[in-house]
Amino acid sequence: MSTTTQPEFLIDSRGTTRETDAYVVGLGFCRATGTLGAGLGDGTVRIGTDLVTHQAHEGAVLAFCPDAKAGFLTGGDDGRLVSTAAEAVTLAKYGSRWVDQVAAHPDGLRAASVGKALHLLDGKGEALKSLNHPSSVAGIAFDAKGKRVVASHYNGASVWFVNAKEDKPRFLEWKGSHGLVRFSPDGTHVVTAMQENALHGWRLADGQHMRMSGYPTKTRSMEFTAKGRWLATAGAESIVMWPFFGGGPMGKPPTELAGGDGVFCSALACHPQHEVVAAGFDDGLVLIAEIGSGKVLPVAPPSESPVSAIAWNASGNMLAFGTEKGLIGWLDFSAR
Amino acid sequence: MSQTNIPVTVLTGYLGAGKTTLLNRILSEDHGKKYAVVINEFGELGVDNDLVVDADEEVFEMNNGCICCTVRGDLIRIINGLVKRKGQLDGIIVETTGLADPAPVAQTFFADDDVKKAAHLDSIVTVADAKNLIARLGDSSEAEEQIAFADLIILNKMDLVTPEEAAEVERRIRAINPWAELRHSVKSDVPVTAVLGRESFNLEKVLEREPEFLNGEDHHSHDSEVMSISLSTDKPLDPERFNAWIGQVLAVKGQDLLRTKGILSYQGEDRVFAFQAVHMLADGDFIRDWKEGEPRVSRIVFIGRDLNRPKLRKGFESCTAEAATAAYESELARWSPEA
Repeated sequence: MSTTTQPEFLIDSRGTTRETDAYVVGLGFCRATGTLGAGLGDGTVRIGTDLVTHQAHEGAVLAFCPDAKAGFLTGGDDGRLVSTAAEAVTLAKYGSRWVDQVAAHPDGLRAASVGKALHLLDGKGEALKSLNHPSSVAGIAFDAKGKRVVASHYNGASVWFVNAKEDKPRFLEWKGSHGLVRFSPDGTHVVTAMQENALHGWRLADGQHMRMSGYPTKTRSMEFTAKGRWLATAGAESIVMWPFFGGGPMGKPPTELAGGDGVFCSALACHPQHEVVAAGFDDGLVLIAEIGSGKVLPVAPPSESPVSAIAWNASGNMLAFGTEKGLIGWLDFSAR
Repeated sequence: MSQTNIPVTVLTGYLGAGKTTLLNRILSEDHGKKYAVVINEFGELGVDNDLVVDADEEVFEMNNGCICCTVRGDLIRIINGLVKRKGQLDGIIVETTGLADPAPVAQTFFADDDVKKAAHLDSIVTVADAKNLIARLGDSSEAEEQIAFADLIILNKMDLVTPEEAAEVERRIRAINPWAELRHSVKSDVPVTAVLGRESFNLEKVLEREPEFLNGEDHHSHDSEVMSISLSTDKPLDPERFNAWIGQVLAVKGQDLLRTKGILSYQGEDRVFAFQAVHMLADGDFIRDWKEGEPRVSRIVFIGRDLNRPKLRKGFESCTAEAATAAYESELARWSPEA
């Protein structure tokens, strides 16, 4: 490649960018309509390519995800859990405490963490149960079938059966502070990102531990690929991919994608069908990498603000990203 | 980043010393600034403020091999949440409960990368009750640590003590912490500007105030576990030897050393090196040029428990460039062929 020519960024030919002037906490696509939505640090949820503004929270949106059936689910530092589609509807108020984490499952399940408690709600917004933990919950996730929910906290993670008559968690123990948490798509593994710049995983069948370390910084984003063969992770100068096949990741080195320019990967999203990862970096660069070939497609140039959120739509032909400074961009990959 | 690095003030003090009164004063005074306040006993504040955050004081150990390295997990989450808000905060005030050890709060700002990027420790402010402090120092190690860690001590309820009692309390405070600024108050009536935005943890302000004792004189009273030791030399230091020595001191004595501060003059260097540490976590850099005619004296102050002055002094003196040369020459002599 010539060093004098500028790489061609897909955003210029196939995309749109908009400035919102507020931290992009999360973005995603509505499960019902496929519409883009974003949750911002000014408490608003922006919907559609016109970024129609809904004041969902008084302070900042702290957590964001596509809601169970339609619209977007957000937690805020105003202690409220809100669902926003046509308008912002408050599902629950938790007083002065922050709603730190949210998750939703298409079967009509919602989860929100407030301090040490994980609250489960149904599709109508009715409270199902509140699950307590030994310390504050720092990450939550449903498994693919919506049967189990996992909450990470200090010294491990707790796996709960959503419909259990008696609520008793399976405690996955590992010393240290655990944040972001993910189930593998087949529900056989749980992985957390730790305070110590490392990941920890458990094989649920036998409780086998997995330690994935070597990160220069904290992993703030990770996702399994669609079929669960790889765990794609941020927190290094490249996209670090751990193999979850052929006996891995134990004893296997990770594959690194799109590395080498000394800037840390800050957010990533795996394509819903293919073995392709979209990643954003601390300098605002966004790219797409194909796992098999290692081939990289530049999406958006550096914008001087870390990429804080990135997401594919369900069919995988739309990609959206946002930065800490408030830039939102989206691209259409469908044939024209 | 939507925010620039936010200064954080840690507010400590024993129960009933006047922390809440001070917080209410800070929040209700018309200073035109926007502060977030992280408190622990929610509901005690009489002021309506949407930036009051209820925290849990969750202290956890970092698995970094440092046994005394504990941090506040809840603070890491709260700071990461606060920086997402729109609009620049002028500061964050973290109140600790009366029984809290201030170290985990301070260490959070050294140990977590995201927190370091978003915020920095401005100062540790301790509110002490002039009437009851001596009794508290007698029955609680936390009260002693809160005094030892402080950059500013607000000696409150001065209207309740006689001048003699006040002098005795001050003597006890100085025995533990000779460098902190001491302010008297009644009903925590100190100006907000005296408490916030002090930049005590700014390396340039290290030892800006002379410790209030004559150099070479140790401070510890027999009724107090925590003591301070101040050492100085006008001989330039050898940076390598100093680093090796202080690294060793912090590694071995870090648990007992509450705070360490130093201003150093290195051999052949025209810049001032500043250094400070909370337990084992240290930070140091060149901060400015030595001024014309300014005496190039290296000074270091240790506050902690069970400190051995002769040993520390010997170690510090072995860091001078002169000592380094002497050591080199004696080593050379030892290996030279006999004449």
